[in-house]
Amino acid sequence: MSSSWRQDFPVPSSEDSYVTRREFAKFMGLTSLAFFAGTFASAMRKLVLRFMGSPSSSVAVAGIEEIPVGGYKLFRYPSENDPCILLRLAEEKFVAFDQRCTHLSCPVYFNAAKSELVCPCHEGFFSAADGRPVAGPPKRGLPQLTVTTNKAQVWVRRSTEENA
Amino acid sequence: MSPKVPIRNRLNVVLQMVTVLITAILLGQLWLFTITLDAMENTAVSITVALAATTCSMVACAAVWMLIRFFLRTERSEAGEHA
Repeated sequence: MSSSWRQDFPVPSSEDSYVTRREFAKFMGLTSLAFFAGTFASAMRKLVLRFMGSPSSSVAVAGIEEIPVGGYKLFRYPSENDPCILLRLAEEKFVAFDQRCTHLSCPVYFNAAKSELVCPCHEGFFSAADGRPVAGPPKRGLPQLTVTTNKAQVWVRRSTEENA
Repeated sequence: MSPKVPIRNRLNVVLQMVTVLITAILLGQLWLFTITLDAMENTAVSITVALAATTCSMVACAAVWMLIRFFLRTERSEAGEHA
């Protein structure tokens, strides 16, 4: 009885998870291929975003009198999925940034008293003047939009740097 | 190498050397992947960086497969000698 059972199942249970050299080499090769595929896909996505992205046309997002000095307005640009924040730092000075924190994409809010943008999720702080990170986990500055004022309105468009 | 050394051990040495090389290359590829991901998310990073990283990753991938091919060829020739 015992010997017939061994004939039917000749592989010992200890060798059931045995990996051959060829299988191991194949696994490493496929891992390398996966890394290349991921790198290629990321690069292609950047390429597509660069060439197929919406043109940097200016959009009016607020009236000049609508925002007091030290105030802000939230808007979405260039699509509904891109939250942005427009700040009025001085009588003639408007700045606009992507509202998503560069750490983990939490929306930042404006602290007018300290003139900084704050990410409440992980205590990230950005300069309200230029969007550079000043404290906390974020390492990159907030993407800035180009702001112009014309005909009593504030217009924004993608900055030249962002389009490059 | 001494013919007294069993073929299995000799191939294991070759495999270990190949494995170390491939592991180093894979780590490099992982680094390149993170660079490209960063370039994808960070609009300030030039597209050239992403393309250069992709090219390097492709070269690394080719190197890995060449090393594997070298190992399999060695394995086959060793087995042929001792057949």
